[in-house]
Amino acid sequence: MENNYILVVGFIVFFVVVSIVITWLTQKSTKSTSDFYVAGKGVPWIQVGIAMVGSYLSAASFLGCAGDIGVFGIDSIWLSIGFFGGYMAVLLLIAGPLRNVGSYTVADALHRRFPDDRIKLVVMISTLVISTFYLVPQMLGAGLLFELLLKWNFVAVTIGLGILMSIYIIFGGMKATLYNQVVQAVFLWITMIVITVWGFMVYADGSLAALLDTAAKAVPPIIAGKDTSVVEAIKGMAPAQAIDTARVMLPQADSIMTIGVKTSNTIAQISTVIALVFGTAGLPHILIMFYTVPNARAARKSVTLCIVALGIFYFCAIILGFLLIPAIYPTIVDWISQGSKGVGFAKNMSVLDIAEKLGGKWLLAIAAAGAVASVLSTAAGLMITAASTISHDLYKVWINKNATEKQELAIAKITTLVMSGIAVVLAVLLKDQNVAWLVTLAFGIAASAIFPVLFASLWWKGLTRQGALAGIVTGLVVSVFFIVLLLSGVKTFIGLPTAGGPGVFGVTTAGVVLILVSLFTSDRGPDTEGFFAQAHKAEKE
Amino acid sequence: MANPNQGPANGADALESARNYRRRLVLGFSLFMIFFVFYMGAAVIQTPVCRTLASLPCLGMPLGLFLSMMIFPVSWAIIVVFFLKWR
Repeated sequence: MENNYILVVGFIVFFVVVSIVITWLTQKSTKSTSDFYVAGKGVPWIQVGIAMVGSYLSAASFLGCAGDIGVFGIDSIWLSIGFFGGYMAVLLLIAGPLRNVGSYTVADALHRRFPDDRIKLVVMISTLVISTFYLVPQMLGAGLLFELLLKWNFVAVTIGLGILMSIYIIFGGMKATLYNQVVQAVFLWITMIVITVWGFMVYADGSLAALLDTAAKAVPPIIAGKDTSVVEAIKGMAPAQAIDTARVMLPQADSIMTIGVKTSNTIAQISTVIALVFGTAGLPHILIMFYTVPNARAARKSVTLCIVALGIFYFCAIILGFLLIPAIYPTIVDWISQGSKGVGFAKNMSVLDIAEKLGGKWLLAIAAAGAVASVLSTAAGLMITAASTISHDLYKVWINKNATEKQELAIAKITTLVMSGIAVVLAVLLKDQNVAWLVTLAFGIAASAIFPVLFASLWWKGLTRQGALAGIVTGLVVSVFFIVLLLSGVKTFIGLPTAGGPGVFGVTTAGVVLILVSLFTSDRGPDTEGFFAQAHKAEKE
Repeated sequence: MANPNQGPANGADALESARNYRRRLVLGFSLFMIFFVFYMGAAVIQTPVCRTLASLPCLGMPLGLFLSMMIFPVSWAIIVVFFLKWR
């Protein structure tokens, strides 16, 4: 191991120790299912708001958003904006009423309006699919980060991470998860701002115009990196000289500011954006966090804090993406010249590289630890969500209706271990695949399978039990079908592009089916008025 | 196991909930539609079919980039209105 990376290890060990200390401190107060699933429902909104930031900011946000801009150019700014925009639907349409009618899982809220166990089952299946799609890239990303940066064994690292997260979920439940997410979110957020502001002063002289001028001149690394003569010519050059040389050699090539280098299809762009906007409002690991605060008002305050913090974070991620060009252009081009693996490397390692250039080994260590923090906080939220839905929506409802709290809790803890094992195995099996985009697909499934029904359930009295069931199943089937097509290399299906993921198709079909079935059926739940009165009850100061 | 889902206690609460429902429906939807139209508009402008429009200069940057970046302050402004009007 190189001496430079002792600091990286030091910071990572710091996070591990903090996690264990927090777990030790919180485990005594985690006794009931309510403590385990939702931290007793009395967590302050500020803490939950910050924890939401931690839960939402995965490695894809910290490393991938800026890295993608550095590779493809301006098209990729919509990755950051898309991730950010998702919380607006959560705040304006979902957070308050969901907090009023749900208890532990997303399925609870729907089941409260339609007491049909099949609804719990299909929501549980959707939750598991979404969580797995989201979880595997986190574990894989963390393993690769350690392998690339420290030359550690990939399998050992992913197993170690799985064990660490299992420990703090099993012993500390949601309380430990929230505290850890707060620590990790603060660290990650500050790190992003420090790198961006510092980089902006050093590489753009504090001038946005200068930064955009450089970007307008630069040939996107994804184009320059595929031209061997350019790659050879700019080797060893300073970034500014390399940018000029590449432009002279490829005078007709697009620039970083050219639209269409990455996203050439408008429908694909719309589909991705819809998946991100509505998907956030259907992500189970985000939605269950509303149950941890005392009331709907607190839930909305949490989301608002989260939106403001995320806005600043993603704004910085966009600026940082452009800063990669004047900072490390030749390095990115060189990575890309190594083929598809190199492209993945460029997307994920560029932020760490600029951090090292700016602040040496200290900032590199902090950025690497930030990346690990982002993985831990997101993965822990996903694992506790999966554990909750298995024990509360499957075991308690379908397997052992008379289960005691102790049994339910035991199942949740066993599920945590099993989910952790599955995530590690899948991460190892898919190690050589570039699966970071699975996160975007998870948004597509959440937008299709969960959001339309959850939204209609909270706001439309005409929704029927059959409509809700049909909506969830349709959304899940259509989104998974599109993902299978995408994975199989099918470019279009009945004229619809698969490149943007299942977002627009899944949301639309689920919505249409939900409405049509509801119009032709009549079971609106045993107490629709009571449900709406509870969901939209007055808020006392 | 604690049951957090306690319904409104009486008819007056139910009536107030019904009023809240209508008011919040209008407010939430109106604000979301403003956000969504702006958001989708900016996303579509930032695609190849609108390249010419997106390239028009606006405050020192291309219009597409400007509108995309405006999503952050527009969202925060919508949140302020949401909290001021929400009852």
